[in-house]
Amino acid sequence: MRILIVEDDVQAGATMARGLSEAGHEVAHAVDGEVGLESATAGGFDVLVVDRMMPKLDGLALVEALRRRGVLTPVLFLSALGEIEDRVTGLRAGGDDYLVKPYAFAELIARIEVLARRRDGGGAPTVLRVGDLEMDLIARSVRREGRAIDLQPREFQLLEFLMRHADHAVTRTMLLEQVWRYHFDPQTNVIDVHISRLRAKLDKGFDHPMLQTVRGAGYRLEA
Amino acid sequence: MRAPALFRTTTFRLTLLFLALFSTAAAAFLAYLYLMTAAEVSRIADAEISRQVRDLDGVYQHGGAAAVRQVMIERTDVDQPFLYLLLDKDGRRIWGTFEGLTIGPDTHDIVWTRVRVDQSVRGDTAGLRLARGERQRLSGGETLFVGDDLHGVDAYVLKIAHALWGAGVMVVILGLTGGILVSRNVDRALAALNAVIAAVRGGALDARVALRGADDEFDDFASGLNDMLDRLERSIASLRHAGDAIAHDLRSPLSRLRSRLELALIEAEAGKGDARQALVQALDDADGLLRTCAAVLAISRLQTAGPAPDQTLFDPSALAAEVAELYQPAFEERGLAFQTELGAGLIARGDREFLAQALANLLDNAVKYTPPGGAVMLRARRRSSGEIELSVTDTGPGVPADQRARVVERFVRLENSRNQPGAGLGLSLVAAVAQAHDGRLELDDGPGRFEGLGPGLTAALVLPRAT
Repeated sequence: MRILIVEDDVQAGATMARGLSEAGHEVAHAVDGEVGLESATAGGFDVLVVDRMMPKLDGLALVEALRRRGVLTPVLFLSALGEIEDRVTGLRAGGDDYLVKPYAFAELIARIEVLARRRDGGGAPTVLRVGDLEMDLIARSVRREGRAIDLQPREFQLLEFLMRHADHAVTRTMLLEQVWRYHFDPQTNVIDVHISRLRAKLDKGFDHPMLQTVRGAGYRLEA
Repeated sequence: MRAPALFRTTTFRLTLLFLALFSTAAAAFLAYLYLMTAAEVSRIADAEISRQVRDLDGVYQHGGAAAVRQVMIERTDVDQPFLYLLLDKDGRRIWGTFEGLTIGPDTHDIVWTRVRVDQSVRGDTAGLRLARGERQRLSGGETLFVGDDLHGVDAYVLKIAHALWGAGVMVVILGLTGGILVSRNVDRALAALNAVIAAVRGGALDARVALRGADDEFDDFASGLNDMLDRLERSIASLRHAGDAIAHDLRSPLSRLRSRLELALIEAEAGKGDARQALVQALDDADGLLRTCAAVLAISRLQTAGPAPDQTLFDPSALAAEVAELYQPAFEERGLAFQTELGAGLIARGDREFLAQALANLLDNAVKYTPPGGAVMLRARRRSSGEIELSVTDTGPGVPADQRARVVERFVRLENSRNQPGAGLGLSLVAAVAQAHDGRLELDDGPGRFEGLGPGLTAALVLPRAT
């Protein structure tokens, strides 16, 4: 996919570009807000990664201008400002996700992929399917190979998130933010324990484990 | 040329202003008094003169000019204080107690006039003096004058005026002196304050104003300044301490990271060893460092920002239940019995995210420090004081009473916790969250010793009664 990085810190931008290219993406790098706005308006990008604080035109103003021009490319804000209200301001300005610096690379890639996919995921399905796993969002039931799997409400939410992002790595922080709505990182591996419980229910008795651990990143649900 | 410093003080200027106001008021009073007194004295004298004129006119009707002269002489002899003069129709003096009184063309029968006398009726105060009297043309053509030597009246009024002027001068002198004294007094008090401010600006943060014991507004100001400097000094000291502690605490993981990377480089150059493994460990180290930085940042933001920004009314039991749900599996995995005791109908005010994080930190500690087989209790309840308590009680080793104040400080870790992950920031964050909500963190013994467990720890986040 094509990604535009708008980041005034040239070195940070270059490192990011290198990492994203390494992950197989096509990357362009704009070194200030004005250049970024022009490039983004010209179009052709799947995701924009925008630094919040830049000279000339800061990230918030850039995204607001972009949305006014009718450009709806998903935006991931990068910022050293991590307070809840900063996050809210960013999302209100038209950002789609918000990542606080410093971040793990795996986190960045995972979020970019989620954003790109959100774009082409049209409509709201009532049944999610990943391989032989099926989730009925109305009946709140889950089946694998037709066998019912009994899940607690939180486990259901966890699996729903994983299924919506199937084949992509999701990080522990993403899970905490999206499933539990907390924006802090606990010291204890609480998420891991929840995942291992879910995994016990999901993969027990089946030859092929679906819920994979991705070293250094988080988890991935595979068909 | 500039006025001496003393005269440039606000106090002195105020004194001058009040002095000017007072002087104006005094002058106005003086003028009023003078006018009133003079008018009153004149009015009484004039009434008496008019009576005399009528009297003498009556005498003239019966006995003519000779009778009037006779009465005038008699009255002068019995020491009447009046000036008399009788002129014939050609203006020549028939009789009088003084010389003069030229009569100009008169158009009225009765006129007031001023005359100069060179001889008083009382004899002792001869000279040219001002008099005032009534002149009347009698029916036979003669002119009668009865006057009053104004010297007495004037002297009386003048005396009052003099007394008042004297008082005015005294007032000005006393006012100026008072102003100077007050200014010097205020000046001295301010000089002490200024000296301390200058010292602090120069870097001597321990400078304090000596109280004068007068318990006045200057003492109030000085003790306020002292309090402010105390707080400032404490926070600077704690900042300095935290800075040292951060540097100290970051140094060991940083040097561990460095040697790991160095070793990986050496091994990679030699073509042996697992460089990938080294990088993974280095990443873990860096993540730990970043977590520490984030926690330090969160704590200092909480400490400097004052009250937490996003305070809403919420049910603390619901909040506790949510966080408990997140931690439940972690407790079970570690072989700990985890229970909750959540009161119904509680209400508190606060920032949910911060409070959830504080509670998570307390549960993190319970997971880390309670040995398997132990129990952990999460409680939300209203105390009899009306305060809301969110507490975590465990059966771990606890914190000795004399260490409890210390463990709340940043980067402080007890001896037996060194082998556990963490940077010694968890409780500091809880305390900072409590403070941002006007609450407090209380550390207490747990349930006590039991079968090799305990004494345990109760960590309670106490929030004020919601209003």
